[in-house]
Amino acid sequence: MLITNPLNSSALAFPILECFHIVGFALSIGTVAIVDFSLLGVGMTRETPAQLARDTWLWTLGGLVVMLFSGLLLFSSDPDMYYLNWPFLIKMVFFVSAVIFHYTIHRKAVSSDTPPPNGKLIAGVSLFLWCGVIFGGIFIGFVYPGLSFGRI
Amino acid sequence: MLLSFVQWIQLTDFFTALRGSAYVYPIVLSLHMVGISLFGGMILVTDLRLLGWTMRKRSIADVVNQLRVPKRWGLLLTVTCGFLMFGSKAEEYYYNAFFRTKLILLALVLVSEFVFYRQVYADPAALDQAPTVPGNAKLAAAISLLLWTSIACCGRGIGYIEPPLDKIHAQIRVLYETALTASRGPHSLKGQDHQDVASAN
Repeated sequence: MLITNPLNSSALAFPILECFHIVGFALSIGTVAIVDFSLLGVGMTRETPAQLARDTWLWTLGGLVVMLFSGLLLFSSDPDMYYLNWPFLIKMVFFVSAVIFHYTIHRKAVSSDTPPPNGKLIAGVSLFLWCGVIFGGIFIGFVYPGLSFGRI
Repeated sequence: MLLSFVQWIQLTDFFTALRGSAYVYPIVLSLHMVGISLFGGMILVTDLRLLGWTMRKRSIADVVNQLRVPKRWGLLLTVTCGFLMFGSKAEEYYYNAFFRTKLILLALVLVSEFVFYRQVYADPAALDQAPTVPGNAKLAAAISLLLWTSIACCGRGIGYIEPPLDKIHAQIRVLYETALTASRGPHSLKGQDHQDVASAN
């Protein structure tokens, strides 16, 4: 490589970025979960899902931005490895689907104060997609190069 | 005494089986992370509400009281998975500086909960009646934010410390060494770890 990534010259860069990544996804997925739980009739039920979505959308977006940029930097430390890592590829499919779902169908479902009749289904799909992102992210570290599966 | 306890717990049949399984550990870790994103996210929202940074249209009592139950479920999931991971490699965790720090920070969470419980968490409706959020409620929220983010970071740090193989209990050591050799080899075939673990036992 002609250009070396400065991230790889410090042993601390990767774990510190991971910490930002964790706080970012806790914030974004946590706030999404509050809205989804409300659609399911659990947790904050005195407010409508639409009110909760208006209260939390900025923090969801903020968490997503932190998660995305720390994630891009983590990816840049060893792109070839991630490209060949099947949990990473699955995670990306889940992540792109989750973000598209969140800003289209999910946003429409929580845009009016009367939740749609399929609100529970939408909440379930949303939670499923975000959990898929988490599982994909964890499994990245448990696959050996060469696309096989094993334990470290 | 503590050391013999952690050695005993990881050699129980249950945790030996858990350690030997290639799939269970990452699944438990993923569920730990799901718990963190639910429980951690809701803690962040509660703290940010007390600080007046989010959900300002909702009363503090509304946020604190309604999130209490889902937070407990999230905590239960996180702690259960955390304990399963600890038990499967208890001796390694025992020596891990980040794990020790994490336990101290968790103890500090209990201390701060105890200190602030009556003033802040027992009656959040009283906080709404005050013209501005009282200083000690904001202090409790700031301490909670600091402690929980530090706990998450320490948790991430645990994986970066190699276990001191010279100190590890002999029977466990064989497992680590075979696992390390397998992970450092060019390719590890599916199921190979199971064989290693079986022969070591």
